[in-house]
Amino acid sequence: MAQQLAMIIDASKCIDCKGCMIACKVANNVPEDQWRNWIKGESGMSRPGKHNGTTKFQPGACMHCDKPTCVEACPTGATYKDEMTGEVVIDESLCIGCGNCIPACPYGARFRNATKRKADKCNYCPERRAQGLLPACVDTCPTKARVFGDINDPDSEAGRLFLKNKEQLTRVAARTETKPNMFYIGDPGPRDWGGEAVTPASMIAMKEAAPFIKGIVGLSGLGVLAMLGRQLIAGSDTDHKENDDV
Amino acid sequence: MSDTMYKRHDGSDIFMHWFNAVCWLLLLLTGIGLIQNPVIDPLGSGYPAVLRSLVGGGGNLLLLHEALGILWIIGFLVYLIINFKGARFFLAEVFAISPARDMLWMVKKMVLMTLGPKPLKMLGMDPVLPDQGYYNMGQKAFAQASVVGGVVIAVTGVVMFLSDRTFGAAATGMIGWAVTLHFITVGLVFAGLLVHIYMAAISPEERPGFKSMFTGVVPGEYAKHHHRLWFDKVQSDDQQVSE
Ligand code: HEM
Repeated sequence: MAQQLAMIIDASKCIDCKGCMIACKVANNVPEDQWRNWIKGESGMSRPGKHNGTTKFQPGACMHCDKPTCVEACPTGATYKDEMTGEVVIDESLCIGCGNCIPACPYGARFRNATKRKADKCNYCPERRAQGLLPACVDTCPTKARVFGDINDPDSEAGRLFLKNKEQLTRVAARTETKPNMFYIGDPGPRDWGGEAVTPASMIAMKEAAPFIKGIVGLSGLGVLAMLGRQLIAGSDTDHKENDDV
Repeated sequence: MSDTMYKRHDGSDIFMHWFNAVCWLLLLLTGIGLIQNPVIDPLGSGYPAVLRSLVGGGGNLLLLHEALGILWIIGFLVYLIINFKGARFFLAEVFAISPARDMLWMVKKMVLMTLGPKPLKMLGMDPVLPDQGYYNMGQKAFAQASVVGGVVIAVTGVVMFLSDRTFGAAATGMIGWAVTLHFITVGLVFAGLLVHIYMAAISPEERPGFKSMFTGVVPGEYAKHHHRLWFDKVQSDDQQVSE
C-alpha cells in the first residue's frame, strides 16, 4: 500500500509552548509574520476562577488532505497530492504565486511566502527527513504531542497510534470536507473552526470557459475538415474565377 | 494577361510572420504542457506529464515557456522599430472594414468553401464574391483577432512572469485573472489559427499567397482575382508614377 504521511496529535499533551512554531520557522526560513503551523487554544481559558471543561491546546498545520481543495484550485499542478507518500506538495519551481490555492484551503494552512512570492505551507520538512530526522516541529516538541509518520505502516509509531486509537481519533471539521490527514487522539479542543474552501472567481471563470473554448476550437476544426473534404471531393472552386476575366 | 509580379510583403514582414508563427507554435506546445488540472486540460491526456518529463520537470517547462514568450515580445518590439511604417500599414488595412461588402464576402466565402456554390444559387444569390482589398475579410478577421489577442496574451504573460518576481500578495487577484484571460485568449486565437493555416498552406487557391510569404511577391493574375481593390489601386499608382 502506498504511504500516507500524517500527524497523530494528542492535544491533551500540548502545553502551548510554541516550540513547534519556532522550530518550524527556523528550519524552513519562514519570513517574519508568517507561520507554517499553529497552536489553537480555547479562548478565555486563562481567566482566574472557575473554568468549565479541560484546557486544550491544539497544534496544527497543513493536513495533507485526501481530497485537497488547494490542488483543485491550482491550474498547473504546481501543487499536487504525491501518490507515493500522500503528501500535498508544492513544486516551487512551477508555482508562480498566483494565489489561487490560498483561499481554497479551509484551514488557512497556506500563505504566499513574502520573500519567495510563492505558495507556502507545511511540507513535513523534506530536507530533515532526507537526513533521517523528524520534521522540526515533531522533533522539538518537549511533551511529544505531535507524532509523525506513515499511518499505513502498522510498524511505525504513527501507524501504531492510528490503529490503536482508531475509535477515538477526531479531525477538525471544516465547512468543506477535505478528508484531512491530521488526527487528534480524543478531544482536540476547538474542533470546528475550519472554514469553507473558496475558489477565486478567476479560476471558476477559467473552469467554466474551458468547455466553450474546446467547443469553439472543435467547430473551427470541423470547418477546416469540411473545407478539406470539399477540396478533395469537388476539387478547388473555380466558379468565382470565370466571371473575373471579363 | 501579364505575369507581372506585384510586391506584397517586405523582407521584415516575411521574417516577422515566420518568426511569429514559430514562436506561437512553440509557445502553444509548451503552454499546453503547463496546464495540469483535469477540469481545464484541453487535451485531457498525459501530454503535460510527458512533456514535463522530457524537459526535466514542470519548472523547466515553465522557464522554457517564459523564455520563448520573452523572445517573442522582444522580436515584436524590434520589428516595430525596424518597420514601423509597415506595421502601421498592416494595422490600417486590417482594421479598415466596409461592412456591407465585407460581411457579404464572409458569408458567401464560408458557404463556398464548405458547401460550394449550389446553396447560394438555390437561394437566388450570385456566388461571385464582392471585390476585396489588400486583405480579404477572412484575413482581416483573423489578423484582428491575432493583433488584439496577441496584445492580451503578451500583457497577461508579462503579469504572470512578474508574479513571483515583483508582485506582492495583494496582486494575486490580478494575477489570477491574467491566467484566465491568457488561457481564454489563446484558445480563441487558436480556433482562428486552424482556419488560417488551412487557408494559407493547404487550400490550393491561395497557393500564390503562400508563396508570397517567402518571396514577397504575387502574380498580377492572383492579385486581380483575390485582392481586386488593392490590384486596381497599385495599378493606378503605377500609372501615376510612369506618367
Ligand atoms: C504554419 C503556420 C502558418 C502558415 C503556413 C501561415 C501562412 C500565411 C500566409 C501565406 C500569409 C499571407 C497571406 C497573404 O498576405 O496573402 C499569412 C498571413 C498572416 N499570418 Fe500566417 N501562417 C502561419 C502561422 C501563423 C501564426 C501562428 C500566426 C499568429 C498569429 C499568423 C498570423 C498571420 C497574420 C496576422 C497574417 C496577415 C493577415 C492574414 O493573412 O490573415 N500566421 N500567413
